[in-house]
Amino acid sequence: MNTIEVNNISKTFGSQIALDQVSFEVKPGEIFGLLGPNGAGKTTCIRIVLDIFKPDNGSVKIFGNGMSEGKKDQIGYLPEERGLYQDINLEECLNYLALLKGLSSSESHKRINEYLVRFNLDEHKKKKVKELSKGMQQKAQLITTLVHDPKLVIIDEPFSALDPVNTQMVKDILREQRDLGKTIVMCTHQMHQVEELCDRLVLINQGKSVLYGALIEVQKTYAGHAIHIRTEDQIPNYLPGMKEIKRLENHHLYQVDLDPEVFPQEFLKSLVAANINIDQFEIASPTLDEIFIQVVTESGMKYE
Amino acid sequence: MKKTLIVLKNELLTTIKRKSFILTLLLLPLIGLIFTIVVGNRDQTSGITSLISKLTTTEEENLLIGLMDETKNITEIPDKHKDQIKLYTTQKSAKFDLDSGIIKAFYFIPEDYVQKGKIVVYRPDFNPLSAGNDNYLIETLINSALLSENPEIMNLVNTVPEFKTELLTPEPQRDPEHQLTFFLPYIVTLLFYIVILGSSSMMLNSITNEKSNRVIEILLTSITPMQLLSGKIVALGLVGLLQTIVWSGTGLFILRLSGRSFALPIEFQLPTSILVWGIIFFILGFILYASLMAGVGALVSNIKEASQATTILVIPMVIPLVLLAPVIENSNGTLAVILSLFPFTSPVSMMTRLSAGSVPIWQIMLAIILLLFSAYWIVRSVSGFFRAQYLLSGKEFKIKYFIDAMLGRI
Repeated sequence: MNTIEVNNISKTFGSQIALDQVSFEVKPGEIFGLLGPNGAGKTTCIRIVLDIFKPDNGSVKIFGNGMSEGKKDQIGYLPEERGLYQDINLEECLNYLALLKGLSSSESHKRINEYLVRFNLDEHKKKKVKELSKGMQQKAQLITTLVHDPKLVIIDEPFSALDPVNTQMVKDILREQRDLGKTIVMCTHQMHQVEELCDRLVLINQGKSVLYGALIEVQKTYAGHAIHIRTEDQIPNYLPGMKEIKRLENHHLYQVDLDPEVFPQEFLKSLVAANINIDQFEIASPTLDEIFIQVVTESGMKYE
Repeated sequence: MKKTLIVLKNELLTTIKRKSFILTLLLLPLIGLIFTIVVGNRDQTSGITSLISKLTTTEEENLLIGLMDETKNITEIPDKHKDQIKLYTTQKSAKFDLDSGIIKAFYFIPEDYVQKGKIVVYRPDFNPLSAGNDNYLIETLINSALLSENPEIMNLVNTVPEFKTELLTPEPQRDPEHQLTFFLPYIVTLLFYIVILGSSSMMLNSITNEKSNRVIEILLTSITPMQLLSGKIVALGLVGLLQTIVWSGTGLFILRLSGRSFALPIEFQLPTSILVWGIIFFILGFILYASLMAGVGALVSNIKEASQATTILVIPMVIPLVLLAPVIENSNGTLAVILSLFPFTSPVSMMTRLSAGSVPIWQIMLAIILLLFSAYWIVRSVSGFFRAQYLLSGKEFKIKYFIDAMLGRI
């Protein structure tokens, strides 16, 4: 049973088409990337999955069928527009939101205190939320997302406005949640941030799904027949199997396009035979950003 | 249901724990209390009350009135008025004293007063209230002087006739001549206005607050908009009731206290039926206005827009206040009946009428039925657009947009 099944959902607001026939599946225990530039329709898509909005067409299944009150308690959601009650103290705020997720009063107190200690917020729990720094509020928001031990975690723009330390913290938490068997959906336009985390992804542009599948497959599909080499030696202008060579940076890094019939291993042998000292040798796989630009340009769409 | 209760409990606790709420809850009765003590003890000269009464009286009030009588009827000022009136023999000296601020006004009775009945008054500026009092004082003085040879007639002229009213309505009534009978409708109306407007505004604040804090999106992933709306309505209704109880409780206490200082009977009280009607009209009025405010809350994008939108909603509530005097004066007149039947004004106006006099039972029932239908319609319309799409949109608020939403056209 898939955790989420989205079948051909469409949504319009007035004359604006926010989503057009989008479909994807999220499998249990994976980190799924819902990617696309700003305004592509990602947040609308998430809101439909969460049953906040109703789709005009199409259907969504969560844990096998439609949304129910009980299922809402099994989902942790971190919206793009982070929000907490500003005028009450942190502990009260977190407790109220946890109670609404179905936790008992004693259980919610216990778990919130554990999280507050873990996130170094313990000494601030009696402060009003508005007195906390932005980073602290981000952490508090993460507590409301995770405190009820949800089976499915949906995070919209997980790294927006985070400094490198907090970005790393969020990545660690996401990995930890995956190791606990949770399903995670990450929704972001910062594609380079999710490359190292995502198992599978769907790419949305202007409300349409333009790319969908496992990250490795997608990268393979769009990978050119090229390798990256880092060396301090001079690479000769001609080697067997080499079609073209270009220097990438000023750090002795080169990209070599190979003849279609030549395998990278064969080319490595040629390099060794030519007595070149190699510091780094890897298959050049395109970044998600590059893939996105390629897909969008090929399909003749616009992107921001 | 369980989550509605969580919303209810949270809303109730956060509202009554708020400093501004506690302050309003306690401050209003306190002002009433101080007012009663000061007004009740203005003549006494002891401690804090005399200090406050000194602050509430202007200096002008303590000045004398100058008087010159060319008809020679008033030759001397009676002892009881000596600290109020000073007699002059020349206009020059009187005007000099007026200019130097020794006297506050100068009354000049010309020789031909008995024929023409005209008196000239010189004043540095005009204050209608104190002028009225001064005129009355001089009038009494002239009457006594003119009728000095007929003390019996003078007595009758200077005594206000005593009216004793016999009421034909069955319900035990307050003494119609009572000072408080006059004030009571004002007090009840204001109390009702403040409580209904106050608690329904809290509704608007609460929703706009959740929108601007952006908590609303998190709430909507845990509860439905209807759970949120119903939890809030009940909670803030209870807050309103709490306010009513505290305020009317201290109100009764103040009445008793003022009963002592005004020498009024202690058993003074409102007819019990008014309390029952009061609760019914409060609940219906609150539901009507709170759901309207919730509707506005769903559509506005920030507090600033919310306050602009409220102004329009408040107008029907202000009408009964503006027209308070004519309604109290003629509590069964056409205007009073219309205002107390029209659902947007009836919660306040009906309470004015009920506290001013008796109201035919069919009118009360009709007002309740009309209010019930309107409240039902409003709750239904508002719940129609109290949805995520509007709660999460940042669209600019326009009255037309609100009306369209109420009529189900969006």
